[in-house]
Order: sequence, then C-alpha cells, then structure tokens
Amino acid sequence: MWLPVLGLLLGLLLGFMSDIRVPPEYANYLSIAVLAALDTLFGGIRAHLQGSFEDKVFITGFFFNILLAAGLAYLGVHLGIDLYLAAIFAFGVRLFNNIAVIRRLIISKWSDSRKKA
Amino acid sequence: MKERQFMFATIALILGGMLAIQFETTNNPVVRDTRDLWELRADLEKEKQRQQELNEEFERYSELLNQYKGEGKDEKIQAMEKALWDLKKQAGLTTISGQGIVITIEPFSEELIGVGQPVPKIDPDMLRRLVNELNRYDANEISIDGQRVVSKTPIREVNGNIYINNEPVSSFPIEIRVLAKDNEKLHQKIIASPAVEEFIRENFLVESKQTAKVILPAFDKDMKVKFMKPAKEET
Repeated sequence: MWLPVLGLLLGLLLGFMSDIRVPPEYANYLSIAVLAALDTLFGGIRAHLQGSFEDKVFITGFFFNILLAAGLAYLGVHLGIDLYLAAIFAFGVRLFNNIAVIRRLIISKWSDSRKKA
Repeated sequence: MKERQFMFATIALILGGMLAIQFETTNNPVVRDTRDLWELRADLEKEKQRQQELNEEFERYSELLNQYKGEGKDEKIQAMEKALWDLKKQAGLTTISGQGIVITIEPFSEELIGVGQPVPKIDPDMLRRLVNELNRYDANEISIDGQRVVSKTPIREVNGNIYINNEPVSSFPIEIRVLAKDNEKLHQKIIASPAVEEFIRENFLVESKQTAKVILPAFDKDMKVKFMKPAKEET
C-alpha cells in the first residue's frame, strides 16, 4: 500500500532536485501527459479495487495514453484545432469518474468491515 | 501482488517526476539569454562601472565612519557638519559656482520668422525635456533664469507664463546655467540634442557657451518633505 506513495514522493523529489525544465512551447504536451498519467494511475487503482486489474492493460495504457494525448495535441497544433481540449476533456471526465468509483468502493469496504466487527 | 505494488510504484514515480517538472516549468519558466556579443559587452561595462561606483561609495563611507569614530568631540561635530553640508549641496540648497556652460534661449529675429508672425511661445514640456536631456548628459547642477532646478522643481505654465519654482520666468532671453562633469561633452551633445531641435522647430534660437565661471543660485524655497520618515537607529 505504501510503496506507490513512496514512489510518488521519490518521483516528486527527483523531479524537483534535478531542476529539469521543459521549454515553454512543450509545456502543453507535458501537462497533457501528466493528465494522461494521472488518469491511468487512478484507473489502475480502480481496477485493482474492483478485482479486474491486468498488468499488461495497465502498463500499455499508461504509455499509450500519454503518447496518444501528446500526439493529439501535436496534431491539433498543426491543424489549427485545439485538439488537446478533447484530451483534457476525456481525461478530466474519466478522472472524476474513476475517483468517484474508488471513493464508493472504499466506503463500501469500510462499512462492510464495520458490520463484521 | 508484490509485483503489482512495484508496478504502481514505478508508474507513480514517473508521474511524480513529470508532475515536479511541470510544476517547475510553470512556476519558473526558462528565461533565455538573447543578448548578443555587443550587448553583453555593454552590460559588462555597465556592471564594472557600477562596481567601481560602489567601491568609491564604500571608501567614502568608511572614511566617514573613521572620522566619526575618531577621538575628540570637535572632530565628530566637524564631520557631521561636513556631511550635512554635503547633503545640502547635493539637494541644491547652496549657491554653487564653477566651470560650466550657459545656454540661452531667445526667439529668432523677425526677419527670420517673417514679419507679422506671432512671437513664439515656450511650452513647459520643452523645458522639461531639455532639463531631462541635460541630466542625461551628466549635468550636475542646473538653474533656469535664476531658479535652481532641484529634484522637486516644478516647471509649469500658468496663464501663458512659464513658472519655475512657482516664480514666473522673466522675458527673453532665458538663461540656463549648467555645471557638468564634462562641460565640453555636454556642450557638444546639447547642441545636437532632440530637445534643442524642438526649440528650433518652434522658432527659438538656442545657443550654448562654455564659461569659465558660472554661478548657480541656491534653491531658496521651502523643501517640503511629504513621504519621508526618519529611519530608526539599529542597536
């Protein structure tokens, strides 16, 4: 349970320590990639709680979503359409859905364990 | 199960790194240095000059400090009086004289303007611009028509008359006396300055002369200080 949290903290620490900065013209892509990663992570947590977790789906989903989102944004820039909004919208909605499901699952688990006790 | 934990941890690590980089990027974006060689040289020169100025200031103050620290009350008072005098001099509250230049402004003669044309009028903006330009060319002290120009000097137009330090400017020619660090340079620069061109466009003749001795009167009005408070001494 604590290993992923530790990983997140370690990642944050590394990111802040390394002092890497993305040129401003690529900041958009990174923000979308972050969103995609967040979405995949929460999706993974949800699948894990629901018992339908699959390693391959999770790992491929993570990288594929990031690439797809960044690619969509890139395409959007060159077509003059704000396609990255589509990615933001899709990921935003899914993020909320996933978090809502996770919340419900945790609540039902908690009330179950209380009933048992 | 353990494997899954590691997988989550790895993904979380990547996510954390990305988040941190994104955070850094949005909060302090990369500022590119786009100065070319000449700009860099000029900046370096500027910084060097600044360093020299700071060094000089430091020396001056340490000398002053030594004087304060020096024995004997008289010396202390003397040092303080000297400091006060220096400050007054800087503020323009003392009469000052020295080698300087005298700029005179008068309308062109009638033949040049044409008979029957109205007498040209000076706009206070023109004078202000001239003062600004004089200051830019390292003028130390300026007086216009017997009025010392200090940091608070107003130059205004009231009912068609120019007022400097709330005193009306008398008739032409208007005499501007300037003491500068480098009189020769100031003289050359001011003759070709845009402010003087503006005067000529408005039919004024502007002449600048270097003079061995010019006397600038003291600022004789009350110096009202609105926004200053005495600093508390640190113990």
